[in-house]
Amino acid sequence: MENRGNLKMSLGILGLLTLLGLIAWVYQLSNGLIVTGMRNVVSWGLYITSFMFFVGLSAGGLIVSSSATVFDIPAFKAVAKPAVILSTVCIILAGLFIVVDLGSPERILYLFIHPQFQSPLIWDVVVIAIYLVVSLLYLKHMTQPAPDYRKLATMSAVALPAAVLVHSVTAWIFGLQIARVSWHSALMAPLFVASALDSGLALLIIVLAGLERYSDYKVEPKLYASLAGLLAAFVAVDAFFVFSEVLTAAYPGEESVTAALGLLLSGPLAPFFWVQVVLGLAVPFVILASAANRQSKSKILLAAALVIIGVFCKRVWLLFSSFLLPLVEGAPGITLGQAPAAGAKLDMWAMAGSYTPTLVEWAIFIGIISFGGIMFIIAARRLLWAREDTARGIRIAPTAAK
Amino acid sequence: MAKKLGMTIDLKRCMGCHTCSLGCKMQNNVPMGMLWNRILTIGGEDVDTARGEFPSLEKSWMPLSCLHCENASCVKVCPVGATYRDEDGRVLINYDRCIGCRYCMAACPYNVRVFNWQKPVREPGHSYGEAPVRAKGIMEKCTLCVERTAKGQEPRCVEVCPAKARKFGDLNDPNSEVSKAIRERGGQQLLAEKGTKPQVYYLR
Repeated sequence: MENRGNLKMSLGILGLLTLLGLIAWVYQLSNGLIVTGMRNVVSWGLYITSFMFFVGLSAGGLIVSSSATVFDIPAFKAVAKPAVILSTVCIILAGLFIVVDLGSPERILYLFIHPQFQSPLIWDVVVIAIYLVVSLLYLKHMTQPAPDYRKLATMSAVALPAAVLVHSVTAWIFGLQIARVSWHSALMAPLFVASALDSGLALLIIVLAGLERYSDYKVEPKLYASLAGLLAAFVAVDAFFVFSEVLTAAYPGEESVTAALGLLLSGPLAPFFWVQVVLGLAVPFVILASAANRQSKSKILLAAALVIIGVFCKRVWLLFSSFLLPLVEGAPGITLGQAPAAGAKLDMWAMAGSYTPTLVEWAIFIGIISFGGIMFIIAARRLLWAREDTARGIRIAPTAAK
Repeated sequence: MAKKLGMTIDLKRCMGCHTCSLGCKMQNNVPMGMLWNRILTIGGEDVDTARGEFPSLEKSWMPLSCLHCENASCVKVCPVGATYRDEDGRVLINYDRCIGCRYCMAACPYNVRVFNWQKPVREPGHSYGEAPVRAKGIMEKCTLCVERTAKGQEPRCVEVCPAKARKFGDLNDPNSEVSKAIRERGGQQLLAEKGTKPQVYYLR
């Protein structure tokens, strides 16, 4: 009973935050993107960072759940359902972050009417659309009273490459740009997939623990230990790619690359870079590498939370390391694109980029995530604990069905 | 053979007077807070400052606007085909098509694109120049004065330069003024190593 009250309250709070985000978006629509911290130098910000972040979270969840079937890992099959719900919700959020980033969102249908297939953004539209359909179908098959396992196997065989592809394409949006030295790398797609794997799995672990705490959903304790072992491996792969990327950038000492690297190692992006390296990679790996720690749920949850924070920081340094420095140097720099206030003659120029998200951006950011929370709770209530999971023999007692 | 319109900018002649920048702004209805064509002081810390150490000082400028690349990154990445190369080799934007995703801005190696973050503000309170007015939420940049050059006139920046630093013409015509200048003076493309093949050449 207490749970039900909590649920209503959290839905209420999330609803309120969603509404606030919606109001902020309406405000942004009427005033233009000038209400954000973005300008001509740093022309992408929190929205695109979040887009990358949520595509990653989504892909990670689906990769874990579909590989359960593809590689026949029975233990993981138990969490396939919450994982797919999570993936579906996250990919919808990623799409919403693109919508709020558009300067002319009323023309969004042009993406479908006038697609230009040379653009990695269109590849992403196509792949995300396929991915969403696959996730929904997968979810539908999975939640049948008597799931057809052959169909599920086929679906997961499609879902796994789709999930890898969706994050690779997102990486190519950046990695294929010769203009921006810190993006232009063949390692970008593997790097993104590695982040997807560790952050997606970390979120899944946290969500499972949350489901256990706030509903009657049960997870075998052993499962946490094996997921945590997998997370440790993913974190190691992510660290390896980051190291390889940074070493390759640093070694030749080429001028523009060194300048971009300086932003990460000791410049304005250093907090994000080092938080990711230390708190997001090193600490969780040390925690999870010990078999004893993998028996402790709280330690696993701590490591998972750190991984997620780390990956968010990674998105930040990846995006902005290419935006802060002007591509062609020379005073007075670049015009910001904001009409100067009366009397302030030179405030339309910038010699270097700077960016701080505004309150409007934060409100929209929180609003979109809250909306995701609502979607997840509703989907979980309808699909997870409304009936018994006969397939895995895990009893899930109905909470609200009485 | 199709035309490939281009320009040369003689940096030995440029004296940093910003006339081309303002001429461009007036011709093209460019809103407050942005420029399609700006003049950079090379190497100096501030506008019109010298570089180097006394007594080895040098001072020079480099005008910068869209370079109308033959292999344009912006054209490739535009998801809706709003940015395109016309038959004469100008890189243009279809203002009615642009969705404001700003991918082209991230893809351009020269920071020459400007975005309408707000409803365009024009100081006299009315539009000026021949170019059509752009709306909030879309991208804009130099069009090689398509309204003028389509009629056979020179771009405004070329016309107004008091030092005659700029020349305009067809790069595919070996006898055009620009082709000759590029041959004789060893015209250089900006960040040529990026392979974007700009059609604006600097003469140093």
